[in-house]
Amino acid sequence: MSQIAFWGAVELGLVYAFVAVGVFLAFRVLDFPDLTVDGSFPLGAAVTAVLIIAGVNPWIAACVAMVAGAAAGIVTAMLNVRFKILNLLASILTMIALFSVNLRVMGKPNVALINADTMLSPFFGLGLREFYVRPLFIGILVLVAVIAVWRFLESDAGLAMRATGANARMARAQGVDTNRQIYLGMAISNALVAFGGALFAQTNGFADVTSGVGTIVVGLAAVIIGETLLGARGILIALIGCVLGSILYRIAIQLALSTDMLGLQASDLNFVTAVLVTFALILPRLRRGGAA
Amino acid sequence: MISVKNIQVIFGKGTPLQKQALNGVDLTIEQGSFVTVIGSNGAGKSTLLGVLAGDVLPSAGQVTIGKTDVTRKGTAARAGLVARVFQDPLTGSCGALSIEENLALAAKRGEKRGLMAALGPKRREHFRERIAELNLGLENRMGDRMDLLSGGQRQAVSLVMATLAGSEVLLLDEHTAALDPGMAEFVMNLTQKIVSERKLTTMMVTHSMRQALDYGHRTVMLHGGEIVLDVAGDSRKELQVEDLIAMFRRIRGQTLDDDALLIG
Repeated sequence: MSQIAFWGAVELGLVYAFVAVGVFLAFRVLDFPDLTVDGSFPLGAAVTAVLIIAGVNPWIAACVAMVAGAAAGIVTAMLNVRFKILNLLASILTMIALFSVNLRVMGKPNVALINADTMLSPFFGLGLREFYVRPLFIGILVLVAVIAVWRFLESDAGLAMRATGANARMARAQGVDTNRQIYLGMAISNALVAFGGALFAQTNGFADVTSGVGTIVVGLAAVIIGETLLGARGILIALIGCVLGSILYRIAIQLALSTDMLGLQASDLNFVTAVLVTFALILPRLRRGGAA
Repeated sequence: MISVKNIQVIFGKGTPLQKQALNGVDLTIEQGSFVTVIGSNGAGKSTLLGVLAGDVLPSAGQVTIGKTDVTRKGTAARAGLVARVFQDPLTGSCGALSIEENLALAAKRGEKRGLMAALGPKRREHFRERIAELNLGLENRMGDRMDLLSGGQRQAVSLVMATLAGSEVLLLDEHTAALDPGMAEFVMNLTQKIVSERKLTTMMVTHSMRQALDYGHRTVMLHGGEIVLDVAGDSRKELQVEDLIAMFRRIRGQTLDDDALLIG
């Protein structure tokens, strides 16, 4: 694997770290199996791309993408909380609807951002080589997001959200409005995912309506790889695990695809993903079996 | 003070399984009074507790806690007035959170929760002191996950949690029923200590007639969704467990006779 390919994998892993943290909030903190992310990731990309082409500042475009993602999360939460639709099904409905929404937003299946200014543009002329600048820049954003989510989850408000996912009955007895927590958590989760989508569009130079397919699997893969490697030792470790898992996942994929010996090609990506996630799921069991 | 007036609760209304869980229950508990509630299965004890906690909203009647009419308020909305210990130790606390995180959650019961760190040094120290009073050695395990504790330890911590924030009433829902006899006695003594020290208005639902007579100032017996016995003071002191059992038998016999009449 070349250096450029390696740093490319790290960069993509960092972009998807936002997805991983969002998925962690939904699946692990709120215990809400949320597939909305398959729609909110390309939604973030679409909104950003269209706004940048319209001449909007790329930072503002990314913020608007987050708002759009939060709105998608709120729709899923409403279907579940207000209309009592099973959480998984509610998220699938939103995901399906978002496919059409994304096409409407872009007006076509694919929007290119070639030569447009992005959040990264100002940092390219500073002397550092481009394939270092990109992961460094995104890494700093990931760091900010991880610290913010960590501090939130260890605040009074965050404890209320964690209790909602872990023991809703107890949370209500402590005065926590669990429905509101689901709205809030789903909004934050999908805002993070949409921000990942916005970064994806800006670093790859395009937004595509199909780029969301399998986002949830990639996010879950990162969460599970992180848990497998670092174990359950508190919120901060879990969040670091999400980021680490996301990066390692991309490097593993890159390795698998660039090793000629295995004879894999790009179209085998989904199969390799499934094998990797399966392996990450089995690993803790194998370890326990070995110890006994 | 708490009062419930003419409470009606009907489960499964309009279905073949319709059940009148509470039928015109009137009960007033004075400030600082400790009331025990007994009754057989299906008598309505848990429903009455649910009506006070907000889990069950009555179809008629009025519930007042302190000076607030809470008849139409859900559990979360009235949590500032109601402290509670559940029967199942797993329900009353969060297994996935640490001991001190559970305490932090309970310390803000019914209050607005902000973005400040839940566990500052001052709060940590305060929680540590409160847990140390239990003499269970848990003060050295404050960062441990709650699900590492035994059922009895969890109930003891739950009792501390119930007293961290102010409340108008403490509801105890057969909170020793799931414990072994030794631990049940420990938790009951702790309950007694906490209730008398803090002069808490308390309602304890129990299956144990011994507990019902040994603790508190007043005993209420429910049957078929109605209050069939309400004793306090000297007449309660004279009452023995045997008397209660006899009363239970008589009530049951009566309903049997009624059924027989109906069939005949």
